[in-house]
This record gives sequence, structure tokens and C-alpha cells, in this order.
Amino acid sequence: MKARDVMRRDLTSVELDTPVAHVIYLLHQSGLTALPVVDEDGRVVGIVSERDLIRAVLPGYVEMLQSAAFLPSLDQLSRRLHEIKEKPIREFMVREVVVARPDDSDLHLADLMIRKGLKQVPVVDGANRLVGVVRRIDLLHRLRK
Amino acid sequence: MILTVTLNPTLDKFYWVDRLPLSLDQPEEEILIRSEKSLMSAGGKGINVSTFLSCHGIETAALGFLAGHTGQIILQDLLSHGVTANFVWIPGENRTNVTVIAHGREYHPLLIHEEGPPVSEEAMGIFLRKYERMVRRAEYVVFGGALPPGCPSDCYRTLVQLAQRAGSRAVVHAGGEPLVQAIPEGPFLVKPDVREELALWGMPVSSADEIVRAGKKAVEQGVQACLISHRVTGDILVTRDGVWELEARVPLATFKNLVGADDALVGGLLAALVRGEGLVEAARHGMAAAVASAGVEEKLCLDVNVVRSELDRVVVRRREGG
Repeated sequence: MKARDVMRRDLTSVELDTPVAHVIYLLHQSGLTALPVVDEDGRVVGIVSERDLIRAVLPGYVEMLQSAAFLPSLDQLSRRLHEIKEKPIREFMVREVVVARPDDSDLHLADLMIRKGLKQVPVVDGANRLVGVVRRIDLLHRLRK
Repeated sequence: MILTVTLNPTLDKFYWVDRLPLSLDQPEEEILIRSEKSLMSAGGKGINVSTFLSCHGIETAALGFLAGHTGQIILQDLLSHGVTANFVWIPGENRTNVTVIAHGREYHPLLIHEEGPPVSEEAMGIFLRKYERMVRRAEYVVFGGALPPGCPSDCYRTLVQLAQRAGSRAVVHAGGEPLVQAIPEGPFLVKPDVREELALWGMPVSSADEIVRAGKKAVEQGVQACLISHRVTGDILVTRDGVWELEARVPLATFKNLVGADDALVGGLLAALVRGEGLVEAARHGMAAAVASAGVEEKLCLDVNVVRSELDRVVVRRREGG
């Protein structure tokens, strides 16, 4: 089975200058956990996940301690989110994107997801343009059949 | 690749009932209509064309606006049919269009159509950027259906302009003012939707002569081809080279659901064009797709063999030109 057989042909994505607030809105609406960031030609130039956004608003020590138990409340996060909501997503996205090609095997996809700890992988064509997304559940669903 | 634009998608719900009350007006008591069967699918003209094309092996992508839970269902349905989806999410809820079909009255169903969520200027800006990216990859782009609230009536005109600039052939499958405004831009094909009013530019399009007159006016204004429905089983194709009448020799009693047949027609025509057929022959393929779709309870006939089997029943006659 190839990536093209298992991928969702859903091109939901954001642009480099999309504000953080809109990215959160889109993640909520679409039910996706990450969104590819594309340039004016539809080429994937980054990816932004819920985790990247959480990291952007959490104080550094929380990440270091791997616990939010030291936070008195979520007010600080809310304030920080308010500060960055109009900022472009290019400031918070991950630029080194792990992508798959439509002809990649299911085994290669599974290996990528396990090794890199990814929930979803964008699939791109020869010009690096987004053509779909493979989520972990898509692989599991196909393997079940 | 064929791109379709559906600015006001819908969740189409079909109910089959034994019979409808003679009048729904001023009922004396609550009306309960039990449905023996129901179906639900993603809809809107462009979406229907994409669904048809994808199931017939043609690469296609659908664009437009999605909203709310209904939007999620529309998206899942499209993806399950192999359509590439690239929508803008907006607040609210996509519309639901209900069709109630009573036995023996298949071509006079009861229709309830919602308006759909409004589209803001900001959302339209996001859509236009997506559209400009996608249209460069498209051989044809189909604009289908009614515009949502908040969308300017010259919207299709703008989108046709951008398609022409990108080297993509535009097909406008819509009615009313949005269609009339798009025609002077010279789209490749127009398929006027005259369900609500049998008129184009105020000209009636009931008789064959009236249809030919309106079709010629569209061609004079720059359209390469105009295809207009003439009665249930006929269509008239007007191009710069002539006028053709297409007729499906099928008994009306075999029709089970006419909703979507027009969209199957556009899908079948485009699929044939992509496979290298000429325009007149492609229109015959489109008519076969429409007849096949009208003959099944589902909105669209997605079985390639059934569509192919209807081809022999569609005859084409040159009416003028050549």
C-alpha cells in the first residue's frame, strides 16, 4: 500500500502570514492536530501543531520541568496567547517538515511516525506541493481492513 | 485536474415517502410524514461534479466554504469519494437541503432549501488566495450553484477572469445575475440553471427556438459553448459552429431522482473532454450521465458501466450550422 492509497486528500493549510488566532480557530474547526504551512505556490514550507502553539505560550521552565504543576493558574497563558494572537504563524511554525511522497510505502510512513513521534505526515508531490495528509488513524484504519 | 468551486455547499438529505399531503398550506392538524428510506450526501453543484468525476477516475479538487458540523459531514463525504478538498472554514453551519420524493411523483419532489452561512470579506480573501494557487494546476474549473449571503454578485465574473489568466477553461454552472455577469468574460462553457426562472437576460427559455436564441446571445458575448436543458430529457448545445439537439430516449417513468442529474451532465461532459472527445460527443456522454443519475435513487450514478450503457439511448441531431 502506498501513501497515495491511504492519505486524506484534505489540503487544509495555512499561509506564512496567517495570524495565530486563525490557526487555533482552524485547528478547532477542522479537528486536525497540525496544519501544514504553504507558500504562494502551495509548497509546504512549515508545519504548526497544537504542541507548537502550547510551547509558544508556556513559560520556558514548564517545558524544562515537563510539568505544569508549578503554574498558579492558566491566566498567564491566556495573557500570552492574547499577546501573540495577531502574530504571523511563521514565527511559531516548525520549518524542518517531515514529508512523504505519494509513492512511499505504508511501512515507510509507519516508520516515520514511530521514529519521529508524529501524529500526521503531509504528503507532497515532486514540486513539494501539498497533495494530502496521512494520520496515524488513517494507517490503522487501512491495516484493519 | 478539474477544479470545482462551490461557494455555498449543502448537505443534501433525501426522504422517500409513500405520498405527500395534497396541501401543506393551512393544515388543520399536525402533519406527520413517515419516511421509508433516506439518504444523505455532500452537495452543491460543484461538489456534485467533483464527486461524479472522482468516481469516474478523473482527478478533481473541490474548493469553497465549510462551516460547523454539517461542514464536517460534507468534508468526510467528499474525502471518502477520493475528492481532493481545499476549503475555507467559516463560522456558522453549512446549509441542509431537503428533498422529499413521493412514489409516482419522482419529478415533482418537495424541496426545502436553506440559505447558508454568510461569507465575510476576510474569508473571501483567504478563499481567493487558495483559488489562485489551485487554478494554476487546473485544466478546467467549474463554478457551481447559488452564492452565499455576503458574496458579491460579480463573484463568478472575478473567478472566471482569474481562471482565464491562469490558462484554465472556465465552466459556469449557475443561474441568475452571477451567471449573466460572468458571460462577458468568455467562459468556455455555460450551463444556465433555469430551475427557478425559465429565463436568461429576461429572455424566456422554454421552447427550443427561445433556447437557441438565448444560447446564441451567450455565444455572441464570448462564451464558446452554451448548453441549456430543454424539457426533462433534452438539451440544446449552441456553439460558434452550430446548434445541436440532444435527446435521451428514455421513458420518464424510469426516473427515480432528478436532483443532481444536471451536475452529472456537466461531470460526464467534462470527463469525456478530458479523455479527448470533441464537444458534441462530450455533451452526449454528459447526457448519458444525467440519464443514468436520474435513474437511480442516489443523487448521482457513480457506476461507470451504467453510464456507458445509457450512451446508446442518447441521440444527437444537428439543428443548424456546419
